Amino acid sequence: MICPLCSLLCDADDLRDIHCERRVASLTQFHSIRPTTSLPHQPDLLPLLRSAKRILVTGRIASVETARAAVAFASKFNATIDCAESGHVFKNVLAIQRSGLNSISLAEARELTDVFIIVGDDHFQTTVPRLPIALSNGKARAQTVLLLGDFTNESAEQWQKAGFDTWTVPCELSSVPSALSHWSLWMDALSKDAHFEVSGANPLFERMRNANYTSVVWSAENLRMAQADLWVERLLQWIANRNETNRCAALPWASTDGTFQQVCTWLTGFPGRVAFKDGVPSYDPHKNSYEQWIECTPMHAHDESVIVLVDETINSRPFLKQHQSQAVQGTSLIELTPSSVRFPTKVTGLEENGDMFRADQCLLARVEAAYSPRPFAKSASDWLEELSK
Amino acid sequence: MITRIQGAVCIDGVSPSEVRDIVFDGETIRNDIPQSTQSDADYRLDNHIVVAGGIDLHTHIGGGKVNIARLLVPELVEHRRNHGRNHGRNHGRNHGRNHGQQLEQESRWMQPLSSPVPGTWETGRRYLEMGYTACFEPAVLPANARHAHAEMADTPWLDTGGYLLLGNDRLLLEWIRDGVPQQQINDYVGWMVRAHQCCAVKVVNAGGIDAFKFNQRHLSVDDKHVHFGITPRQILSALSSAVESLGFAHPLHVHCSNLGLAGNISATMATIDAVEGRRLHLTHAQFHCYGIDGPHGYSSAAHVLADRVNSDANLSIDVGQVMFGQTVTLSGDTMHQYANRGLARPRKAIFQDLECQAGCGVLPFRYRQDQYVHGLLWTIGIELFLRVENPLQVFLTTDHPNGAPFTSYPHLIRLLMDYDFRMTVFSRLHPDVQQASPLPSLKREYMLDEIIKMTRLGPARALGLKNRGCLSEGSLADVVVYEKSENMEEMFARPKMVFRRGNLVFRDGVFYEDATKSTIIAAPEVDTQMDALLKRIWKTRYGYSTEMIAVQTDELRSRRRTVEVTSPFGSQT
Repeated sequence: MICPLCSLLCDADDLRDIHCERRVASLTQFHSIRPTTSLPHQPDLLPLLRSAKRILVTGRIASVETARAAVAFASKFNATIDCAESGHVFKNVLAIQRSGLNSISLAEARELTDVFIIVGDDHFQTTVPRLPIALSNGKARAQTVLLLGDFTNESAEQWQKAGFDTWTVPCELSSVPSALSHWSLWMDALSKDAHFEVSGANPLFERMRNANYTSVVWSAENLRMAQADLWVERLLQWIANRNETNRCAALPWASTDGTFQQVCTWLTGFPGRVAFKDGVPSYDPHKNSYEQWIECTPMHAHDESVIVLVDETINSRPFLKQHQSQAVQGTSLIELTPSSVRFPTKVTGLEENGDMFRADQCLLARVEAAYSPRPFAKSASDWLEELSK
Repeated sequence: MITRIQGAVCIDGVSPSEVRDIVFDGETIRNDIPQSTQSDADYRLDNHIVVAGGIDLHTHIGGGKVNIARLLVPELVEHRRNHGRNHGRNHGRNHGRNHGQQLEQESRWMQPLSSPVPGTWETGRRYLEMGYTACFEPAVLPANARHAHAEMADTPWLDTGGYLLLGNDRLLLEWIRDGVPQQQINDYVGWMVRAHQCCAVKVVNAGGIDAFKFNQRHLSVDDKHVHFGITPRQILSALSSAVESLGFAHPLHVHCSNLGLAGNISATMATIDAVEGRRLHLTHAQFHCYGIDGPHGYSSAAHVLADRVNSDANLSIDVGQVMFGQTVTLSGDTMHQYANRGLARPRKAIFQDLECQAGCGVLPFRYRQDQYVHGLLWTIGIELFLRVENPLQVFLTTDHPNGAPFTSYPHLIRLLMDYDFRMTVFSRLHPDVQQASPLPSLKREYMLDEIIKMTRLGPARALGLKNRGCLSEGSLADVVVYEKSENMEEMFARPKMVFRRGNLVFRDGVFYEDATKSTIIAAPEVDTQMDALLKRIWKTRYGYSTEMIAVQTDELRSRRRTVEVTSPFGSQT
């Protein structure tokens, strides 16, 4: 199955064997998921939707089918659409839209990279717990990992266990881009100095200098700083500069909204955070975020606002933070949780396990109904399609 | 349901162009139905021409890089109200008029589009508006095949297919280095095409995308890949041999080495030689026929390539015409896209190294008519069209969106059919281009039936679409009616009617419900031992099973979507 938390395909039968508290928590929730949908009758919903002045479609949309249906629904009802976890993704998206990107995919990184720079802190290990195994190519060629940020020995051990030559360099997370830039300047200066004895340098320095392919890995979820998109942009700039002489790329980790974003992009031209008016999509990565939508809900307009929540993932974590729940009190909520547990993978994902699979880079089609415990129950996309007719 | 069109001139490049009835019964053209038979719909269309639905054999309409382009440049999107899905029936063209005259000239064909890389709905709608009914995505990355098919499924009013990107997949390069038997490569190519539900094989800068991952910045046809020690010539030979052996209707679809470089004509000629006389299709050939003469060391070598095509029936090209204005270039050729990064306008680009299979480079670009090289590219494309004698060997493309958006086709057709109009545009180009280009001496004006062959019959034959591209008995009733006009740009921009599979889907600017869509695939025989071998290799190399990425034929089918298999080479009339 694909872990909805870190996007990696997990081949373990028992998730509790893996050191991942969040997974264990989600496993518990998995058992307690509601067996049936709480959706009211369709005839009651249509007048509500038609009279609403503001509609938000949000949640965790994991399959192509539901993404299509959600966009069509938003278009029909002049709604704003944004996934509940897009906040992390948009840290990267905003930076990319300003200055571009050099990136690498997972299998390529595993095969080609000789130096990984992992940026973040110990939370990264819980966000992507299986990454060390996934990136370890098992070849005789030594791969180096530089843990740059606030990592403890515990994190380093995970990488060492997976066979990486691991180095930990403490660094304030916010200053990582400038630290790397200075590092580059230092390396350049030393390279030009004919009197400098390279063999006497720090072996890590030497490896970085001689790396054929460097991959920089981070999880946007771990960037708990103001204006993280600017941080990402500076890091991307460092990567771009390094490509002038060596190969270097980003391997950013985001969320499982990937499928929704791809579908939304090809249907509307934008990766999400789209507001429709008369069927015409307009993109505003700030104004159209679901958080902004909630914050801007006027107190007196609650009865004219509707939030449609869609959840296709197996871990029914709450969508709204406490203050957001208070902000939308009185607003109509339509919950489209799966009426039966569905894995956001194709049949092959269930029948064929593997060591790794980037769910955030690959499209996920909904599992065949026959594989669902309640094959005849309506899915979120069925509901959305019906309401959009 | 029987539909009869009377009084119009039928042009298809197979039968003589003349006034005759076109009758279709259901989704098939049935010219044998007697006049006396009562029809369900009759159209008297004097002063019109009837042709088959247009086929674009090289247009980037689906897959990861198209979405990446959309992601990169949201600021280029200019949505007007009539682009919305709910406004599908509003055909208004309320364009802003606040641009300068030159900008207006440049962006004339852009204006129907909201962006150089529009969404799927708009893509389908604009293609249909020009009379196109089938389009082919020329670069389907194996790991991304499911995405490409899902995106094309959402492109309405078009039958679609894809060409699988091979020739930079590390497994193939390793096998070529190790000298495995050609049969093993044939089996691999067959398995890959089948598993990813494509209809042809494309190679982009053979070996060059992979070489760039090893920091090699240049690779011509006989240069060695820095890691594997093999040459693009070996890769081209192996792949063209596989395509021929497997009987694919479409020959190996090649994006040559040295994209855009001055003097790259030698690499293009070497590419043709590399396939040792087998059938070959050179794509966006305009970007691959440059010499090193002229005032800026950059000149046209279109005559060299055209002469070669004219003397070899096994060769075909599509042009990839450049038009002036803003666009976004997107290509699997990371090596050369990266080399062009400084030319990006706006100044940003995305480069990706992907899954040991290929890569992609996306950069926005503005072609300016007052810039020497850009003007020269424009003339070279036109030159190629005019110099290749047989319209069944040269196809009308802009390599959408790389040379220009596909909506520039009607303008391009007028350029080809009207010498004076061509010279009017030519006179606005950089003075050095006017000095260096032989274009004024090429007085050929395309005839209408040649345009129809180039946009219908030719692509259909090149792709093994036996039942498309003409109005013969038994063909699919994808039929387009244009009202005759002196101005070919206006005529080809707005058909009177479009039928898909016998259903009227567009008439006088109004769209009607779509007919069934097809995904067009090839179905080579697959060796079961190769299946087992690749399953094992995939798991080790990529970390997941082949079944994770293989697209099942059933996934391509739905209530309004079918799968169509191309005819193998040699089975066509």
